[in-house]
Amino acid sequence: MKADHRATLTRRQIFSPGLFSVTFDCPDLARAVLPGQFAMLEVPERAQPYLRRAYSVADADAGAGTVEFLIKTIGRGTRALERMPERSTVRLLGPMGNAFTVADLPRGARVAIVAGGIGAAPFPALLRGIAKAGLSADFFLGGRNAKELSIRARFDGLVPGETVLASDDGALGEKGFVTEALARRLGAGTRYARLYACGPMPMFAALAKVVGPARLPSEFSTEAEMGCGFGACLGCVIPGTEKPFIVSCSEGPILSPEKIQW
Amino acid sequence: MSDPLAVTLGPLTLNNPILTASGTFGYGLEFTDFVDLAAIGGLCTKGLSLKPHAGNAPPRICETPAGMLNAIGLQNVGVEAFVSEKLPKLRACGATVIANVWGDLEDDYVTVVRALEGADGIAAVELNISCPNVRQGGMLFGNSPPLTRALVAKVRAATRRPLIVKLSPNAPDLVESARAAREAGADILSLVNTFVGMAIAPETARPRISFGTGGLSGPAIRPLAVRMVYQVAKALPGVPLMGIGGIAELSDVLEFLAAGATAIQVGTANFKDPGVSGRLVKELTDYCAARKTTVAALVGRAHRGGGRVGGAAGAEG
Repeated sequence: MKADHRATLTRRQIFSPGLFSVTFDCPDLARAVLPGQFAMLEVPERAQPYLRRAYSVADADAGAGTVEFLIKTIGRGTRALERMPERSTVRLLGPMGNAFTVADLPRGARVAIVAGGIGAAPFPALLRGIAKAGLSADFFLGGRNAKELSIRARFDGLVPGETVLASDDGALGEKGFVTEALARRLGAGTRYARLYACGPMPMFAALAKVVGPARLPSEFSTEAEMGCGFGACLGCVIPGTEKPFIVSCSEGPILSPEKIQW
Repeated sequence: MSDPLAVTLGPLTLNNPILTASGTFGYGLEFTDFVDLAAIGGLCTKGLSLKPHAGNAPPRICETPAGMLNAIGLQNVGVEAFVSEKLPKLRACGATVIANVWGDLEDDYVTVVRALEGADGIAAVELNISCPNVRQGGMLFGNSPPLTRALVAKVRAATRRPLIVKLSPNAPDLVESARAAREAGADILSLVNTFVGMAIAPETARPRISFGTGGLSGPAIRPLAVRMVYQVAKALPGVPLMGIGGIAELSDVLEFLAAGATAIQVGTANFKDPGVSGRLVKELTDYCAARKTTVAALVGRAHRGGGRVGGAAGAEG
């Protein structure tokens, strides 16, 4: 059940300036949340940002009662999170949205995870789930440059398979888009039972052109600006193929690419 | 003393004056994890049209200082699906349901209202003549007193239910619009809908919302809305009003009651804090109990010179 939780900041890990993780004490949410779900975070006592922001839950530890988010500083709210002293409190509305599906895959199956920049956010929990289910996973992480790829530190020891880095400038890993790195492997005959992806819309659009012809079943963790996070405001719609609009927060955020009108 | 929170607005009696505004509360069912729908005074549904409506292309919303712009474009499931799928669940929750209705043309409004006539469990109908985010209908009716008068008269003839008309703050003369709606048969006036606004991304010089303009809501508009409620209450004494505009706290509720609203609708705050309406009912209950007063006694106090509530020894200042 969704609820509005009070959460206390207990830990912050900086990967590079403007790229960090925050961990909150929030036991009820930690127990309830599934990989791929998100929470609407409110930094209290601020007129701006006025609305909450949606953040994918990066990982949750039910035993310790903590939830973690991976964040990139882009505006007032994220800047506040970057500077917020430990023991500060925020409000977390969640868990929201649907989750990645893993349970139906047979043990030993191989999956791909494709992340563009801060799109890596929902994958620590998914990777742990994948390892626990006895699957293997190749993790494709793309970014503009080495700084954007600094978030890879969060995935050390988590990937039951190969980690493939790609940067636009070639400073780290393969040069070019992460979608191209994936396409090269598919072209060389690598097969995956499922692909999970999260990143900016242009990455999704490019990825849809790769997974479609390859008939690779895919789950995209979509992002659209959300007003509420639970299907009331209808602000976060994405054009669909089966109907005019998909409500990203309540019908997603995990959507299969063939349902999206690219 | 009867229930201190109960309010009567013409033919409509509500358990308490805290309602939720159309377009900010979905069909109510999205909120059942956060609010006991039976505990609030009522909920106004997403604007219903005759046929399902897809709404505008994204982006549809944009945050602004202390509020937001939206141009959802009245996406809704249509009146038929509302009655068959949503209404039975709302009734099971014990909700007091106010059906918000819109159309492109006069006859569309009448047809939707007729379609609701046979349904049980609707306490009142609210006419949306003030949506700024559709190309036809909506605000066009609300911004012209003669069109308002003609539309309200037609709908009045089509329903026996309490009729609320939701006014546009973008009308050239809000008092004239209010008068036209009332004289044509509105039982209650709700005010205000959103203010037409615009936000442009400086880097691209393009509007942030695909529709171009959007409706501004949230605490940013509260003083404007309070002024408008005060104005209409003064010009049309005795006409029951529902106040809307940036309400998020108990003090905001008290402000609108003082300005002359008998009930209020919580809007944008529902997005940020989905439990806010239920909490306001509790806070208002405590407020009235502590001061041994009733909501009815709090209505219109600003028109009577104000003064402290309760006055009895022990009452808080």
